Amino acid sequence: MPWQTQDFAAASGPTPQRESPLALSVRNILRKPSSRVALFVLGVIVLVGLLAPLIAPYNPAAQPDIVGLKDLPPSLAHPFGTDPYSRDVLSRVIYGARLSLMIGILATIVSLTLGVAYGAIAGYAGGILDAVMMRVLDAFLSIPRLLLLIGVLVAWPKLSIGALVVFLGLTGWFGLSRIVRGQVLALKHAEFVTAAQALGASRRRILWRHLLPNIVSPIVVAATLGVAHVIVLEAGLSYLGIGVPKPLASWGNIIQDGSDQFPTMWWMSLFPGLFMVLTVMTLNILAESLSDAYERRR
Amino acid sequence: MLRYIAQRLAQAAVIVAIVATITFALIHLAPGDPFSAVMDNPNVSETVRQTLRAQYGLDRPLPEQFVRYVSLLAHGELGWSFSHERPVREVLGSALPNTLVLMGVALVGSFVFGILIALFQVSRRGSVTDHVLSGLSLFFFSMPDFWLATLALLTFAYWLPIFPVGGAVDPVMHEYWGLGGRIVDRLYHLALPALTLMLLASAVVARYQRAALLDVLPADYIRTARLKGLTEPEILRRHALRNALLPIITLVGLSFPALLTGAFFVEKIFAWPGMGYAVVLAIGTRDYPLVVGGVIIGSIMVTLGSLLSDVLYALADPRLRSR
Amino acid sequence: MTAPLLSIRNLRTWFYTEAGVARAVDGVSFDIGAGETLGLVGESGSGKSVTALSILRLIQPPGRIESGSVIEFEGKDIVTLGDDEIRDIRGNRISMIFQEPMSALNPVFTVGDQVAEVARVHGGMSRRDAWDRAVEMLALTGIPDADSRAKQYPHQLSGGMRQRVLIAMALMMKPALVIADEPTTALDVTIQAQILDLLVDLQKKIGTSILMITHDLGVIAETASRVIVMYAGEVVEQAEVDELFAKPQHPYTEGLMHSMPHIGHDQERLNVIPGTVPAPTEWPAGCRFRDRCPYSWDRCASEHPPLYQIGTGHVSRCHLAVEPERRNHPHPPVVVEAGVAAA
Repeated sequence: MPWQTQDFAAASGPTPQRESPLALSVRNILRKPSSRVALFVLGVIVLVGLLAPLIAPYNPAAQPDIVGLKDLPPSLAHPFGTDPYSRDVLSRVIYGARLSLMIGILATIVSLTLGVAYGAIAGYAGGILDAVMMRVLDAFLSIPRLLLLIGVLVAWPKLSIGALVVFLGLTGWFGLSRIVRGQVLALKHAEFVTAAQALGASRRRILWRHLLPNIVSPIVVAATLGVAHVIVLEAGLSYLGIGVPKPLASWGNIIQDGSDQFPTMWWMSLFPGLFMVLTVMTLNILAESLSDAYERRR
Repeated sequence: MLRYIAQRLAQAAVIVAIVATITFALIHLAPGDPFSAVMDNPNVSETVRQTLRAQYGLDRPLPEQFVRYVSLLAHGELGWSFSHERPVREVLGSALPNTLVLMGVALVGSFVFGILIALFQVSRRGSVTDHVLSGLSLFFFSMPDFWLATLALLTFAYWLPIFPVGGAVDPVMHEYWGLGGRIVDRLYHLALPALTLMLLASAVVARYQRAALLDVLPADYIRTARLKGLTEPEILRRHALRNALLPIITLVGLSFPALLTGAFFVEKIFAWPGMGYAVVLAIGTRDYPLVVGGVIIGSIMVTLGSLLSDVLYALADPRLRSR
Repeated sequence: MTAPLLSIRNLRTWFYTEAGVARAVDGVSFDIGAGETLGLVGESGSGKSVTALSILRLIQPPGRIESGSVIEFEGKDIVTLGDDEIRDIRGNRISMIFQEPMSALNPVFTVGDQVAEVARVHGGMSRRDAWDRAVEMLALTGIPDADSRAKQYPHQLSGGMRQRVLIAMALMMKPALVIADEPTTALDVTIQAQILDLLVDLQKKIGTSILMITHDLGVIAETASRVIVMYAGEVVEQAEVDELFAKPQHPYTEGLMHSMPHIGHDQERLNVIPGTVPAPTEWPAGCRFRDRCPYSWDRCASEHPPLYQIGTGHVSRCHLAVEPERRNHPHPPVVVEAGVAAA
């Protein structure tokens, strides 16, 4: 990442970015004990998700005895109990980590791409195009994301996971693109950009080589928060019965399976929820120390 | 000032128009036709089908349908809810007050509570108490709405049966009580859902307000206040809070979408007969007009919320007020 | 001089930063007499503002006034006072005027409110009385139509007006000492003279002492009777104003005088003294000015100069006092070789 502006270094003087923002972020994160713990916990959860087939004691879809083994409270054999279909809740929570994290990350990648592109274009173009694009964005931001998704998902019943990811991503870029647009707008007239323009760099080149590398930090923060948000949203939608198709195990689906009898089957709400809070909390802590580091640097 | 309000109103109108376009696109981009479920449903009476066809002009060309849709919306007509066999306007209209009560109580409560927490934290900044409270607010901030609502119901209505398990009133006794009894009954049913929603929102407010206060403290005018011989608590209350409240006013507008989303889940879990409850039930019955109606009303609420907070901000900040 | 109003002895205010201990003020001693205007001159980084904030105990962590420092004011040692006692002094017996009147005023309160607040805190006045007193004070500082101006917010006033508001605030309780930290730097040249005149005028009326902090010897010449020159956290020269201008002893004072712009001229700093103040985390051993000094010799590197007595009330922290013949052999300062362009 350093010397992104290498080709114009002589003209632009010292580059505004001496150290790669990512390296800087990592170093800053590791300085705070709370974020070290968060990084460790998140690492464990990710690892659990990755190694789900090796760790999970049972097959998450297996219904060994639909009569005898259903609705069991936590025990040594089933530490998180079993569900109404006699499936092992611990195994489902482990596989849920895999699915929920994967959906969170993939959907955020979709949002990032859209948000950066839209914001960068609006900020760089300026003028009427920018004004129109921002009004449209205002409208999208005025529709609560959950409501928008409900509207979409009810219209398209029985969606595949892939389509769900796309829709989660499609509804998640509005805030980010506003940040990107603001940053691009602020940097557009920075000296090193003017220098690049004076040397005849194309618009596209200036945008990609000079502007974007300088706004990586807020994008990384937004992405971290974005993953957390998608995980909560997916769970909420699954809880409403229009998210991840059953019988796949996502944290929201597990809670949904037990929601009819939650007063008696508390384990079906408690354990997947705890994992979810832990994941979201660690992501929030990391995003916070990332943005602190970014603020300090400015 | 008046010009600013007029400007913001025009902006809000544009936003609502775009929202209407988006929902129209939603309806028409969907595979088949979201009304096909209605049309093919043998339980739906012929009159309903006729009404729907007439209202949406389903057999007309798309542009005409759009014009029709927008003009219906402009007249407050949101379509026909076949699961309720009533106009969507009526269904949502009767549910809306309950949602507004729930959101209003939670909104006011969470701002008061959140700001107090933040003040307390900042007055002891860097202490163990401050860190513990920061951790707690992060914990609640990270909590999915429906999960906290489930836990609250489980704990305070089932395990410790302090509060009722749901609904807005006692299903049997409410009719037999006098006015006082009815009010108490309503408050009793409101308490747990409102507290749950309030707790969720307070976490956001406390985090935001703490940061805003810490942002203000290094300012030169705080040094001036110290220089005058004011005590630290006086400085916090008078000089820092007053300035740090400005960003918080913006948060009122920003928190509307989250509050509304939270209200949806809280209403579902506590069977609170508001808009969210109606829409969640409509998901189950695939009552699409009702769902879309909910999306539109929700978006209008968010737009009004941000309009309100922008105007409040302009009124509260002397630098903007005089414009 | 009669018994001083404020007496500072061996004041050391250090900041414990990640980069090390910054000894911003490092053993400063001086007195201010009642009714006197004392000038405190130095570049930014010389420690003059930290000295001012130390007098009011407004040093925020990681800064700390080291033990052994003494700030005696009206018979009390400010360094060891309790929080309530020091608050009783702030704004009441000692007050301060800052460089940036805009940021020093709270944007969400009217200026009248902010001036009146001082009287509410210290005078125990009712809202009404405090307000009337504030309007009176604002009028005294030459704000026309003070009655209605008091109801305005800081952003509605001009820079000069805002500084008058701060002066009104500072003089509200008729304090024994007013610390003015670069009170005119942020103002237009024409306003600067007005504000200085106002301060001198009000000082006569109220009989307060002023500690005038500035990097501008022109301001000192206008207002002060005695001057202290600070460099790198230390007092390097002290004298009566006339004496200092006639016979500057320390090479740093000389340098300041050469770079002195005349009031009414371009206010931009003429960078005649090459180089900058060294970092407060690593003051050089020996004389702290030697790298920028045109006379420095080996003694300056090995021996930290004490304050040599030059004449009555005139001291200088420079070995030239005992080896005056060195003045005949100036050389380019060391820092010039280190890359600063030779002008």
